Amino acid sequence: MTHSNKKINRLIPTNEDTIGPYYPISFCDGDSIDMATTKNGIIFKPEGEQIKVNGCVRDINGNLANGVLLEFWQANAKGVYRTPDNINDPDIDPWFTGYGRYRTMDGNFTLKTIKPGRCGDRAPNITLTIFSDGIMRVVTQLFFENDPANDQDPLLQVVPEDLRERLMIKKTKENEYFIEIIMAGENETPFFDDLLS
Amino acid sequence: MTKLGRQIEIGPTDNTSNERTPRNRLHLIPDAARASFVPWAPRIQGLDPAEADLTRLAPGRPRAEGDPIKVTGKVMDEFGRPIRNSIIEIWNANKFGRYSHIEDHSGLQLDPNFLGLGRTVSNDQGEYEFWTIRPGAYLARPDINRWRPKHIHFSIRGGSSRLITQMYFDGDEHNDTDPMRILMGDNFHVNIGKEYETPDEDFDSGYQFDIVIGGKNPTFFENI
Ligand SMILES: [Fe+2]
Repeated sequence: MTHSNKKINRLIPTNEDTIGPYYPISFCDGDSIDMATTKNGIIFKPEGEQIKVNGCVRDINGNLANGVLLEFWQANAKGVYRTPDNINDPDIDPWFTGYGRYRTMDGNFTLKTIKPGRCGDRAPNITLTIFSDGIMRVVTQLFFENDPANDQDPLLQVVPEDLRERLMIKKTKENEYFIEIIMAGENETPFFDDLLS
Repeated sequence: MTKLGRQIEIGPTDNTSNERTPRNRLHLIPDAARASFVPWAPRIQGLDPAEADLTRLAPGRPRAEGDPIKVTGKVMDEFGRPIRNSIIEIWNANKFGRYSHIEDHSGLQLDPNFLGLGRTVSNDQGEYEFWTIRPGAYLARPDINRWRPKHIHFSIRGGSSRLITQMYFDGDEHNDTDPMRILMGDNFHVNIGKEYETPDEDFDSGYQFDIVIGGKNPTFFENI
């Protein structure tokens, strides 16, 4: 049975709901937060600078947000996303999916990946989706501090200048970075609307 | 008037919702960046069809306590077009309202024959089918006597389709006080499984739960 929305002749979307505290941990068994190495003992590796992004997710009180499910999505070192439309792109890296998912028990994470490339006027970035108890899915996109392409990036341009800082992954040492995600309150991370946009 | 992103609301009487709901309005995504927000999740290889049967730990094992039910439906976009090959994961509490999850500290009765988690993939028509046990309601907040009504959790992903939702049961006495249900307002009805009879089948009843994935997330842009 379907429910039609007479005004615009579309079906009413199913309401999003919280994932709750009990998302089955075993559903994450095949998941990886390591995009930098190839699975199954294959010697090949994705092209590009191998990096580590250490991070954490905090709530309105500054406490770590335990039990959140994180999903990462990014382009490869040449700025190409592995989507069905790009399947014949010569710059697809056969050893890189750009997709990672991880359930963090305590709110900390370490993403191992390669530094994404610039794609047209898009600065290098990593899309992050957070699923958590108490909220609907929220999404954001993270950038690399001091990257020269940031100034022209069309997404960063819609974020008020004083908030852009909060989307910046900061370099801590060679090949290593840090980002703090604040879900609510002071210094809240800017999130984006992927339903109305 | 300029179009604005959504202001997410906080679920009333829900502590975690208060702690984790962004207070600022969401930012709209400009067209030039929109496609980059649609992940393409690789397929899960080798899903066992038995994973869609939550009523037993494995074929041939004893059936879990409670009423066996069948949950069926179709996954589609706002135009009714089927969403194929998406991974549908469900999880629900047992007859007594207890999850097998290690972090469920409610102390409610466990059922050694019920794990309460299953997966399947939508077929070419976007259809799916699960067998499970009708879940029990549970007291989520003893301090304020707030119950969660009977519900089955759903996650749909794979390709770019994605949705986290819950199926509710018509007439549950706790529906009207559920914080997340309150946020759904008049659209709550689309999250109710429509009960149907299952003559000659070994189920207490069936529930049809069609899932419509809204916005530009259901299919990859150029594939529409
Ligand atoms: Fe639940």
